[in-house]
Amino acid sequence: MFADNWKISLRQISRIMILDLFGLSSLVLPRIVADMTGADGIICFLLGMGGGILLLGVIQGNVRYMEGSYYQYLKKTMGQILSDVFMVFYLLYFIILAGYVLYQLDILILSWLLPKGNYWMVEVLLLLLAAYGTFRGIEGRVRIYEILFWFLGIPLLIMLIFATGSVDTDIWTPVFYTNGRGYMEHSITVWSYLLPLSGLLFLKEFAQKPERLVKSGKIAVITVTILNVVIYLILIGNFGQKTVQVLKHPVITLMGMVDLPGGFFTRQDVTMTAIWFFALFALLHTGVFQGTLIMKQLCNEKKSNYSMWVALIFIFFIADSFIKNGFMEDIFKAYQERIALPGMLVILIIVPLVYQVRRIMKKPEGGKKTWENQSK
Amino acid sequence: MPKKITKNLEENIKNYEILFSDCADIKKRRIKVGTKLKRECYIAYIEVALNNTEWKESAIGKLLTTLRELPEEELISYVKENTWDISDSAPFDTIEDAAQGMLTGDVIFFLEGYEKALKIPDQGYPGRGVYEVESEKVIRGSNEGFSESVKLNTALIRKRLRSPHVKVRESFAGKRTHTNVDLVYLKDLIHPEVLEEIEKRLQEFEIDGTLDSGIIEQLTEKKKYSPFPQFQTTQRPDRAAMAILEGRIVLLSDNSPVALILPATYNSFIQTSDDYYSRWEIASFTRVLRYIASFLAMTFPGLYLAMTNFHTQILPTDLLLSLAASRQGVPFPAVIEVLLMELAFELLREAGVRLPGANGNTIGIVGGLIIGQAAVDANIVSPIVVIVVALTALCSFAVPNEEFATAFRILKFGFILVCGYLGFFGFLMGIMAVLIHLSHLESFGIPYLAPFVGADLNGYQDEGDTFLRLPLKFLKKRSLYTREGARTRLKLK
Repeated sequence: MFADNWKISLRQISRIMILDLFGLSSLVLPRIVADMTGADGIICFLLGMGGGILLLGVIQGNVRYMEGSYYQYLKKTMGQILSDVFMVFYLLYFIILAGYVLYQLDILILSWLLPKGNYWMVEVLLLLLAAYGTFRGIEGRVRIYEILFWFLGIPLLIMLIFATGSVDTDIWTPVFYTNGRGYMEHSITVWSYLLPLSGLLFLKEFAQKPERLVKSGKIAVITVTILNVVIYLILIGNFGQKTVQVLKHPVITLMGMVDLPGGFFTRQDVTMTAIWFFALFALLHTGVFQGTLIMKQLCNEKKSNYSMWVALIFIFFIADSFIKNGFMEDIFKAYQERIALPGMLVILIIVPLVYQVRRIMKKPEGGKKTWENQSK
Repeated sequence: MPKKITKNLEENIKNYEILFSDCADIKKRRIKVGTKLKRECYIAYIEVALNNTEWKESAIGKLLTTLRELPEEELISYVKENTWDISDSAPFDTIEDAAQGMLTGDVIFFLEGYEKALKIPDQGYPGRGVYEVESEKVIRGSNEGFSESVKLNTALIRKRLRSPHVKVRESFAGKRTHTNVDLVYLKDLIHPEVLEEIEKRLQEFEIDGTLDSGIIEQLTEKKKYSPFPQFQTTQRPDRAAMAILEGRIVLLSDNSPVALILPATYNSFIQTSDDYYSRWEIASFTRVLRYIASFLAMTFPGLYLAMTNFHTQILPTDLLLSLAASRQGVPFPAVIEVLLMELAFELLREAGVRLPGANGNTIGIVGGLIIGQAAVDANIVSPIVVIVVALTALCSFAVPNEEFATAFRILKFGFILVCGYLGFFGFLMGIMAVLIHLSHLESFGIPYLAPFVGADLNGYQDEGDTFLRLPLKFLKKRSLYTREGARTRLKLK
């Protein structure tokens, strides 16, 4: 059929990226960043955004040389073994990320929607739903979030506008009181929450205009940073930094306190949880999808879906370990900042460099044949 | 093996009568023709398909009269050369083809010494004429409706689209019914792949009979487990013509007053004919209402359960107290109460549909007012549940397409269960599951959620005809259904 091979558009990619980045970062980061003085946290968000744009720059450095999938590009550049190692690195990142997101979703649901619920039942239901979504393919996945975007965005913007009414701007001061190390640590934390951007590497083969892939990532990073800064300022202005630090989900608590004109609906925390439910689910879905995609490529699996079920089982146990062990959150933070982020940067910088070096070295004397042509 | 028609009339008659033995409704007559009445001919027809009262005025009557006035030796050449001024006659070579020709409602004519049979048209099968459409009523616009005759239906479309680019492709479905299936489209607007696909799908099955377009619809749908229809249905010729003008294809089946339109999207099911006949403000307002109605038809009872059983903090205290007071004395849990009421309502609807008009209305009144009131008085259900169920029903009636509304009615029960046991979490899960399903669903290659998704493929032009229907002067381009390069609908001078 003429429409079966439609590829995903720039708008679809930027929307799914916005949801992927926004859900987890807006839920978790304000609490982490709030141990800084006044509104200093926004500096970290901005520096983190700078890191995100840098990450996109190195992603662009890879994307421009890619023909076909990322795995094919890795194999061509680094050989079978190293490319497999790198793919396993990405696989671990997406699976661990999905496990963490599932845990966050679990906490969100059990805290705000189903206090008497059973955590494993919630996890299983969410994973089955993610499996259903993954089973339906990439086009279906991006369409869901393309359509959800404004349904989530408009209520959020309205609630944020109403929430500004109760902001005490005095609490934003003093600023620039945090030391350099504090800025650096928190900026790296913010940056590490932008790592799902690496998913762009795997979207190239599905993109309508691959050359504009990174642009959609930039739109997502800038939009999410603006939203996070606004939410952070409102949170600090409403609760003060000490309270924000101890609240489980400060942004949802804020939604519960917003007074809507008319007074018919008294509290919006439950209904506004929907925004974070869908945004976190988008990221979980991304984790499952990317994990399955990488595993399928590594195992050369064509039609069956064993990889997806294996990925789901791993994700379930990772989420379970987060629930049972309180220290796992710290381990995840350390993993993101000390392993995933530097590791990913190293891979993303090394691979195009090797690609260039090999191209120059293999260039025949006549200068007409390229290394790529020879390897073909 | 088909039997060839020979010059021997007796042999042809024998073969033909074997085929139609024990068929009391089929009339067969031997008639002498020629000036000396020495040559014999034979006619066969379905009893009611020939106008007996105006026999002489009919085509076969005129032919026989002429044949009696011609000498015997000129008869065959006269018939062969088709010189008797009937446009729609057709010769057949085999007995089986001749039989099939007669079963379409025409007269079959054999002549001694002539090795073919002729189909002579007459009034055909009895059927309704053009009647007022019963469903899909509009406030403004034509009220003509399709009838059971495919020929009449194609004529009703052609009456509205007087263009030589309107094409009608004929095929037959049903091994025993030989139902005429017509595909009507504008050749210069459609995606040729869609036409190829529907023709391919029509060839993919062999069934004994197709008595309605609904059978063809089910046999050609790809996602058979989806509750959402992948063909749009209509009984309105103007709706069908409008769809053809958008580059879509209309499938008409004989004996069915319901046309199938393909491809179909969520948005197309929400649109009505008079959306385009009324001013844009009214059209947009009703469009938004229908979208909200389609959502609430599926979710309202579930949302009620989630709010009253799990998340009472959303509601103002006064309302909450009033809800609690209304439930006092009701012996069932809220889920059972809602399910009982919904089932009762569905029963009433089903009973009302099957009964004749006046009785159907009575059932509605008896069910809605008397039983509802009695159930509340007897404390079987609370008044608020009656209101919730009634509002949900109103929402489902506001969805303009019956098949599409039915999908929401079915899903509603799923939402009642998940929201009843998981509250708002169940609601969110349900919404996500429906969204995943819909985002994957396609109708002949067009995403079901278009143009909310993939709008970039038509330069975001289609978004002007979704929740809101922009003024017609802004809707200059046709939608995604039309092939690229033919999407200009309106040029302002």
